[in-house]
Amino acid sequence: MKKKITLRDIGKIEGQMVDIDKADLSRLPAPLDDPADEPGIKQLTGEQKDRFDASLDGISAIGLVKPQNKQEEEDFVRKFIAGLKKLLSKENNWTFLQPLMLSLENCAKCQNCSEACPVFTESGRQEIYRPTYRTEVLRRIIRKYLKKEGKLLSKFTGSDIDLNFKTIARLAELSYRCTLCRRCAQSCPIGVDNGLITHELRKLFSQEMDIAPKELHQLGTVQHLKVGSSTGTSPKALASFIDFIEGEIEEITGKTIRIPVDKEGADILLLHNAGEFISWPENIEAFAIIFDAAGVDWTLSSSLVAYDAVNYGVWYDDVQLARIAARHAQAARDLKVNRMMVGECGHAHKAMLVVSDRVLTGDLNIPRESAIPLLEDIVLNDKIRLDRSKNDFPVTLHDPCNLVRLSGIVEPQRRILRKICPDFREMEPHGVDNYCCGGGSGFAIMDSNNFSDWRSSVSGRMKLKQILTTFGDVMNPEIHKYVCAPCSNCKGMIRDLLSRYRLTEKHGIYYGGLVDLIANAMVDVKGQFINWETS
Amino acid sequence: MWLLLLTYCCLLIFISGIVWRAYKYASLPVHLRWELYPVAHEVGRPYGGSYLEEEDWWHRPRKINLLGESTVFLREIVFFREYFYSNRRFWSFVYPFHLGLFLLVAWVVMLLAGSIFTLNGLSISSTSPYFGIPLVYYLTLISGVAAFILGIFGTTGLLIKRSYDEDLRNYTAPIDYFNLTGILLVFLTGLLFWIMEDPSFDVSRGYVKSLITFNFPEIGPIMTINIVLSCLLLAYMPFTRMMHYVAKYFTYHKVRWDDEPNKPGTGLEKKLQAQLNQSTDWSAPHIHTGQSWSEQVQSSGATDKTEK
Repeated sequence: MKKKITLRDIGKIEGQMVDIDKADLSRLPAPLDDPADEPGIKQLTGEQKDRFDASLDGISAIGLVKPQNKQEEEDFVRKFIAGLKKLLSKENNWTFLQPLMLSLENCAKCQNCSEACPVFTESGRQEIYRPTYRTEVLRRIIRKYLKKEGKLLSKFTGSDIDLNFKTIARLAELSYRCTLCRRCAQSCPIGVDNGLITHELRKLFSQEMDIAPKELHQLGTVQHLKVGSSTGTSPKALASFIDFIEGEIEEITGKTIRIPVDKEGADILLLHNAGEFISWPENIEAFAIIFDAAGVDWTLSSSLVAYDAVNYGVWYDDVQLARIAARHAQAARDLKVNRMMVGECGHAHKAMLVVSDRVLTGDLNIPRESAIPLLEDIVLNDKIRLDRSKNDFPVTLHDPCNLVRLSGIVEPQRRILRKICPDFREMEPHGVDNYCCGGGSGFAIMDSNNFSDWRSSVSGRMKLKQILTTFGDVMNPEIHKYVCAPCSNCKGMIRDLLSRYRLTEKHGIYYGGLVDLIANAMVDVKGQFINWETS
Repeated sequence: MWLLLLTYCCLLIFISGIVWRAYKYASLPVHLRWELYPVAHEVGRPYGGSYLEEEDWWHRPRKINLLGESTVFLREIVFFREYFYSNRRFWSFVYPFHLGLFLLVAWVVMLLAGSIFTLNGLSISSTSPYFGIPLVYYLTLISGVAAFILGIFGTTGLLIKRSYDEDLRNYTAPIDYFNLTGILLVFLTGLLFWIMEDPSFDVSRGYVKSLITFNFPEIGPIMTINIVLSCLLLAYMPFTRMMHYVAKYFTYHKVRWDDEPNKPGTGLEKKLQAQLNQSTDWSAPHIHTGQSWSEQVQSSGATDKTEK
């Protein structure tokens, strides 16, 4: 049974604020409509509970270690206030100050955004997940502790929130209960962006307090800058992957296709999410096969950082964002390519084409593009020979938020699918109104403690419903069904959803990228490119 | 005379407040892009597409439909479309409330127009033979009465909804009830003085005229209360989030729809270069406190501080 939670409770309730009970979660459609089949969320072990703060909802995404004494707690609060001041200063936060101020000062608290948020609705309307909960807490903290409203005025303006370790620790965890999909912002008539405020909270925690999920920071951007890739792939390992991929291509096509690396003066520097090399090498293979057939002049880079398109900084830290974006551009400059191009990675699209567009200046300001329009040109203008009957199975498209709502790349991928897939069907809603896969803003790669259970049960629930509904008429496991997700993180999330609810095994639902479908339809590729055993 | 003085003072605070608020937002630094699609000035992509859908977009001329952008913005302001489609129940109160405010402004404009006629020796009546004067008379009457009625309906509805709807109540502070009650009182006293003291709005027009001539007319007690309340509300507004209508221009045009690419050699690029040269004081271990953004970018960050 859900507790009634108020804004003040964040600093008052002792112990765990709420418990995510599987009985409260929204009902799934058939064939998962029996609540008894819901796997639920595993509890933290006693040792984890002792070590990490999970006082928000029993989930630990960031592994925040509890303070050991009063002094540590006071330092923690002091640092938070110092960070908050920096977040509101022109020098330290010129990157997002204007949108932040606008969103902090103008919310009418009408709750129009709540219904747009799949985390809130699918959790069974947990108050703490409401888009305005964490942001309203922050607004009230700013009024009370930065604007120094007196006790009476605080009561009048509703700013009487206690700022203590509990409040800050819960806010830190709460900043990782939002996928930054920004459906809430889209639904706000004033233009207030609660997703942005969440993003800014994450920045405060990372840039001032060194608090961030280890998958995003230590194993993410830090490793990316130090080793070369967030996957830990070194340049030497990259060469081995490429050898392997070329071998695979030869096996599939019977052709020897060399993947160009560090080709100076190439037209295009293609940047893949390095996760593809490890988890979905077929995506790299498909790109190489298509580009070879279409005569595209392209190259990969073997420079540190530049063989991995990811930029996790876009989710939590502007300094890390800028560092990685600059290294991507430096590689392009050094190779003297005409343009940089992002492969099938949603957040890399947003990071490279949108957010860090205003970080790259001077000789780093090199043309940046998505690979999808080029693929559209190749497919729609018959630059390769295609046979759509090879894709004669139900296909739906998952729209990565970073690609559609946040970068405006909506139709090219659809035009491709309409041409090469006879049974292409849309999810509802789709395009710029889509729902996040549940793995957005880094969630797909965050597996600490029990966070992955929460992710699959709560943040991915709406996407799961959409997939089930779209394929509702073809649930026979003999019929292969394909969820096309042109984004590595979305693929990872959908893989987890399908596996958790055994949808591939029981109902024949598979997933993969866009180029996989194009390669599968190619006349020059004998048989099927898509391997249903491994998809 | 004190009422005229109060009106001028409050108007001055109100206008200064609007200017100050607009200046505050406008003078904030150029930020990183954070647009949200659909972007209303995109040409030929009503589904929410962007120029990034084009291959080689960097070298193609950028097409912007400013008329389309203004139309979408105005449609949102005039009809509250977002609420209409996503939250019809809330729209049924919030729209009349705002429409009441818009009509209140229209009423004041009509009173001003009427005053200008009377300054030229013409009297405002429904039977005047002069072209336009009956129109001014009726528009004043309609806008005023409609403003009061819609305003009372909308404000009362919002007050009730905020009190009884748990989703809203949890987030509504005493100040929100105070603000709504203040606005309700303005609408209520307006309706009352129309019914009891000034059915043709001649006295109201005389009062507006006196703002120009300083020839103060005799006005009734309810109207006096209404003017005092309206003035205080005007002066109070700039210090509250009731100024969100100023912010709305910026949230839409400077954030949601700001997709201007940073092309080499442009003014935008120069501004960004200057901002990148500013120092930053963030103090997490991976950040070099005190260095400029450009210097931060050059360093590998990571655990530099601890390595040193």
